[in-house]
Amino acid sequence: MIPNCNISPQNAFRQNLRLKTACDFAAVREAARFACTWLATQRISAEELAAWEIALVEAGNNAVEHSPQSAQMLPVEFEVSCGEADVEARVSDHTAGFDLPVEIALPDLESEGGRGLFLIQSMTGPLTYLRGRGGNTLVMRRRRDALAQPETPSLLDLQHRLAENEAALTEMSEELSSSYESLVAMFRYSAELGRSTDLRDFARRLLSDLMQLTEADAAILRMLAPDESLELFIALPEGLSTKLSQRCPGIEHCSVEWETVRTREDVWFGDDRPLHELDPLRVIPGMAQGVSHVFGLNDRTMGTISLGRCGSNLPFRSAQINLLHTFIDFLAIQIVNERLLDERTRARVTRRELEIAANIQRSLLPLALADCRPFEIAASCLSAKEVGGDFYDVIRVGDEGLLLVIADVMGKGVPAALFAALLRSTVRSMPTLFSQPAAMLSAVNRVLHGDLSRVDMFITAMVAFLDFSQARILSASAGHCPLLVCVPGESFAREADDSGMPLGIEETTQYAQNMTPFPPGLVALLYTDGLTESRNPAGEMFGSERLAETLTEAAARPSLALAKDGMLARLASFQSDAALSDDQTFILLRHAL
Amino acid sequence: MKIQSRDDQTLEVGGILELDASNAARVRDDIRAAITPAHTALEIDLSAITFLDSSGLGALIALHKTLRSQNGTLRLVNPTPSANQIIELTRLHRVFEIVTR
Repeated sequence: MIPNCNISPQNAFRQNLRLKTACDFAAVREAARFACTWLATQRISAEELAAWEIALVEAGNNAVEHSPQSAQMLPVEFEVSCGEADVEARVSDHTAGFDLPVEIALPDLESEGGRGLFLIQSMTGPLTYLRGRGGNTLVMRRRRDALAQPETPSLLDLQHRLAENEAALTEMSEELSSSYESLVAMFRYSAELGRSTDLRDFARRLLSDLMQLTEADAAILRMLAPDESLELFIALPEGLSTKLSQRCPGIEHCSVEWETVRTREDVWFGDDRPLHELDPLRVIPGMAQGVSHVFGLNDRTMGTISLGRCGSNLPFRSAQINLLHTFIDFLAIQIVNERLLDERTRARVTRRELEIAANIQRSLLPLALADCRPFEIAASCLSAKEVGGDFYDVIRVGDEGLLLVIADVMGKGVPAALFAALLRSTVRSMPTLFSQPAAMLSAVNRVLHGDLSRVDMFITAMVAFLDFSQARILSASAGHCPLLVCVPGESFAREADDSGMPLGIEETTQYAQNMTPFPPGLVALLYTDGLTESRNPAGEMFGSERLAETLTEAAARPSLALAKDGMLARLASFQSDAALSDDQTFILLRHAL
Repeated sequence: MKIQSRDDQTLEVGGILELDASNAARVRDDIRAAITPAHTALEIDLSAITFLDSSGLGALIALHKTLRSQNGTLRLVNPTPSANQIIELTRLHRVFEIVTR
């Protein structure tokens, strides 16, 4: 067991081994053995190895044997240095020291000790003993034997090999330290991610750390945008952002950032590969050299990262490039995570929004339709997906009649539902106009115009007043589907149609009022375009002709409720399993015989 | 290490792989303990020894003296070349009887 060992290249031509070992014979023996194992890797001949083993053991033994009690806790140190021509070993002790004799003689033949120094010198050569306070060092040196020719490496070979080893060692230690740096950074970033939600801020800090670790002066992160352009995401130092975010036509052919996207390989630039004069990276003052790296996930390109050095011709080392790759891979994963999270959140928000809108829409519809015999009324409102912009209302106007409102707000979701609610309140706030549909529409348009036009929305609507005493329908349309009236069982349907602009288009629109007689036996239909524009799986539209037929047929049924069911059944069978693409709303009126 | 009497006069020691500062004193004492006054020869087989240092030599000299004190002889049997080198270098071949069989 070697307690403390350090191998390092002393210079280009010597390799060094340092060992510290406990002050006892067995430990010293083990250290000598280890040193010889190391020397064996330095192409030392077997004979030399045997000699060095004796010399090192003897020197170590002396250090142990003569060590005073007080120094026995102190280590014995070995330092072996192997050069082209010789091997030198130093053994340091903590003994009182001795005077090295000029001539080292053998003791009396019968003496049991005192042969160590003689053996050391015999095995190595002239010795030096350096004495100091608290410690002394025995210096041994032996010329290296010339090895047999085939095994003798040339000086050049050795230098080459040494240089290789040296480079490998340097790289390994760099690699180790950069791996450590990355690990520490990754842990820190992972912890941070839990707290921060701003990806850009996170990326900025990550890049700033990366710049420090790679000794870069500039870092530019671009993301591939949906329009296939490289959009600046982060540029450090900050001042560069404005210049770097400018778009230049034709940049794809001359920038290193685009080259790395095309080739999917790192692109190095510098003296031997200067930046094109149109390359955006040229705006970085003094940029001498750098590298552009494309990154992505699962073969999908996400963007590029470029690191640059200003005023330094020292290229990035492989360990630094590894850091760049590790950091950016990590960032790519975070970006993808955030995008997924975004999509999930958006989907959740949309779903919630649709639920809210559906609730609003349902709450707007009349709970029960007025009983106003001999007039009957039935209505249906089918929403496409969760919610649409269709809306209807039925208001009993004393004994005089019924006000019917049917409308289709352009758009879907919460905004459409809100405008439907607004329309309902507005209509209901004008009781004096209940029996004058045209005036009502004009007034409602004036009220809603501002709000609607601000958000570029409009509403098509029909307001109809069923006049009980006169048995007629007064109606006005704001760009809405016409009122259909039919004689049940007969094959015609009549349209009352003089339509004005939808609500919200022009503030001063004056609507015309239509009057449709509604004698006993007739059935009237108010509807939205979801009916006529519904399509079958072949893509064919239901159309107004088919609607008139359907109405005529359905109206012949014994009750209005059955008529409504008939209409719905016919619509459903036409659409078959095609998804409802728009809301379908209608109101049926019948004047019983 | 294996210590055994071949006969009343001869003690045989074999299987020493290393003889150095870390084990010399113990080896010396173990062998000494096996020596009886009747022994006139101690034969130490060094055919398997891989390392011998000055402390090992010291142990051998001590045993040599023990044997001589009872008019016996220490014989080193078949020492390996490296052990032989150390012995010759320190001129102890003049002290020990070295036997090659």
